[in-house]
Amino acid sequence: MSNPWIAIGALAVVALAIPLTMMAVSSLLRPSVPEQGKRTTYESGEVPTGSSRQIKFNIQYYMVALLFVVFDIETVFIFPWTVIYSDAAAEFGMTTALLPMVVFIAILAIGLGWAWRNGAVQWVRSPRATKGADTYE
Amino acid sequence: MQSAPLPETLANLLGLDPNSTAVMIVLSLVGAGLIGTLMMTNTALAGPWAKRKITAAFTDRIAVDRIGPYGLFIIVADAVRLLSKELIVPEGADRPAWDLAPLIIASTALLGFAVIPMGNGIHLADPEVGLAYVFAVASTTSIGLVMAGYASNNKYSFLGGLRAVAQNLAYEIPLILTGASVVIFAGSLQMSEIVAAQQQSLIGPLPSWYAFVNPFAFVLFMIANLAEVGRNPFDIPEAPTEIVAGYQTEYSSVYFVLIYLGEFIHIFLGGAIIATIFLGGPAGPVLPGIVWFLIKIWGVFLFTQWARSAVPRVRIDQLIEIGWKGMLVLSLANLLLTAVIVGVTV
Repeated sequence: MSNPWIAIGALAVVALAIPLTMMAVSSLLRPSVPEQGKRTTYESGEVPTGSSRQIKFNIQYYMVALLFVVFDIETVFIFPWTVIYSDAAAEFGMTTALLPMVVFIAILAIGLGWAWRNGAVQWVRSPRATKGADTYE
Repeated sequence: MQSAPLPETLANLLGLDPNSTAVMIVLSLVGAGLIGTLMMTNTALAGPWAKRKITAAFTDRIAVDRIGPYGLFIIVADAVRLLSKELIVPEGADRPAWDLAPLIIASTALLGFAVIPMGNGIHLADPEVGLAYVFAVASTTSIGLVMAGYASNNKYSFLGGLRAVAQNLAYEIPLILTGASVVIFAGSLQMSEIVAAQQQSLIGPLPSWYAFVNPFAFVLFMIANLAEVGRNPFDIPEAPTEIVAGYQTEYSSVYFVLIYLGEFIHIFLGGAIIATIFLGGPAGPVLPGIVWFLIKIWGVFLFTQWARSAVPRVRIDQLIEIGWKGMLVLSLANLLLTAVIVGVTV
């Protein structure tokens, strides 16, 4: 059995070579006609106002990203357990194999419940957006 | 029935020594080229042609039929057309990031196919961590999406990038947890083992594919996969009627091709993961394995296109609530339920 990572590395080379070849071919084919205003970013035909890097966005994007880190690490712990589970359950009985994971998931579920109650997974609409919707009624 | 990985099969076929590293590197490149070509062919067929034909059939229209038989030569025409377009770099674009994003989106999706068993010995590599590897590679695409959204210096792109990452984060965990429930049955992360574990008979002629053994997990995985590949009802990162084209608004020419291509390879990668862990991989009666594998991934592709034509888009608040309150809780329940069932039956 040879090292499987050689083949994966080879596919990485191919996976990079295909897009790079396409870029190279395209650079030979395509024209370049720089004109005034052509490079402006698209804002539905209006002249762009302000920087795109400083727009305010909903804090919720940050909250769900924080929550994701917790649950992503959780999946890292779950994976080794899933691999040995059926063998462990056959050898030591179901309770011994399952109970620690139930406790672990229960702690996470409590965490999710806490985040849920505090509105971390509830998309908060800004008062301004809600007010705008009301005036149209 | 465990067959050797593709490079070793090639070595035996050509009478070369499979223990020599140099031989293996060369043959791995050949094998990788084969896999790359196969998936690029599928994507070329799906992107400019099949997608249009399928959407047209759903909406009762006639799609591309002018060039070649069934309009098939549109693939060549579109490739030439898009590659020869001018590349317009938006003002204030964050330069290396803006150029790297299409590369990341296209390459990472292709990289996942390394561990997918496609039947007839077409299985590039079979590491013990196969399933974890494929999830890891598939989720790297999110980085490309965020880079594209941020670097374009466009407000629509920025919003699209944010939405893409919020969506991928919300559905990543249900996806992986449901995948983990399959591992409980199979007892291994190795792709060949997972496929081999699905070959026994469940009831009569019905094979014990995990889609039949645990349909609940299969449905959860299909839904989470729709969100991962960004197709309706979860296409808010692109949402053409709201934010133009999301993170790809400012991309033209070959960069647009790469992002578009990357999305389609990603759909096929999702299909390949589903085929491997839920539909018995390349297994099936009469026809050779590779044909069954292609039928299965095209089946999943058809499903995404069906959803795209038939299901309305969810809003961002609904998306987050479905993901965190619905899918996550259900996938945790599925994991524990699977563990109890397996624990009782062993």
